Amino acid sequence: MTSRRPTRLLRRSDEKLVQAEILNEISRDEVIDIHMDWQPERLAALKNLRSQGKPWPENWHWDWSTKADNLNFLAYRCFAVECEGRAQGLMMIATIGWRGRIDNQIGKPVLYIEYIESAPWNLAGLVETPRFSGVGIALIRTAIQVSADEGFAGRIALHSLPQSQPFYRRYMHDLGMDASHGENLCYFEMTEKQANQFVKGRPS
Amino acid sequence: MSDKRTMTLNLSDAEMRALEALCEQKDLSKTAVIRQALRLYQLVDARLASGGKLFFEDSKKAKAELIAL
Repeated sequence: MTSRRPTRLLRRSDEKLVQAEILNEISRDEVIDIHMDWQPERLAALKNLRSQGKPWPENWHWDWSTKADNLNFLAYRCFAVECEGRAQGLMMIATIGWRGRIDNQIGKPVLYIEYIESAPWNLAGLVETPRFSGVGIALIRTAIQVSADEGFAGRIALHSLPQSQPFYRRYMHDLGMDASHGENLCYFEMTEKQANQFVKGRPS
Repeated sequence: MSDKRTMTLNLSDAEMRALEALCEQKDLSKTAVIRQALRLYQLVDARLASGGKLFFEDSKKAKAELIAL
């Protein structure tokens, strides 16, 4: 059952912090609904970029309706940020199968972020002026909280597309290109200490 | 996770020692280790049931051993 927790996002039109909610453990059907809500604006924005000869973001092809099948298993969970009646971001996590690679947490379980994405209208690479900022921050904070709840002490990890690496490099250890990963992406890991700093350093 | 329920788990001495060793190695509570095991079992079992195979590879990547639960 989906529960809600308050958070805040920055509305870019007036630069004001506005109330939003984290939706915990959303269902497969809810993820598909969000995908269908996003898809028309995603396609319109891609069409616009193509007409202007601009490159598409690296995650342009992501399809949450197929990723949602993972939610048939206990190991996966999905979270959303909702504001002004629409999902502003989505995140899928895995709570098994990933172990720390950094010296002081080698072998200890880490929460792995399978996918994390802002709504198309919030992606700087897709639209000129995103509607909301802080979506990724709110979802990463959620991942840290779930990691702590699982007994993982806030440790999280993910593989990042090149376009997002500068963001993660500010808060996590960059362990470089991961040849064991199918898409050869950079692997990032957050320690307990970094997680505490992240949570304390950001508005809720 | 919401709506948690409590249960009693009866383990042999050997099973309890194994559980405690995992808790120590992973820095997790007994509940957390059991949860991890359940999630893994569910996922692997479903993949095997749908025709998937599970392999372990040694450090030289030379051998692969098929195991089935």
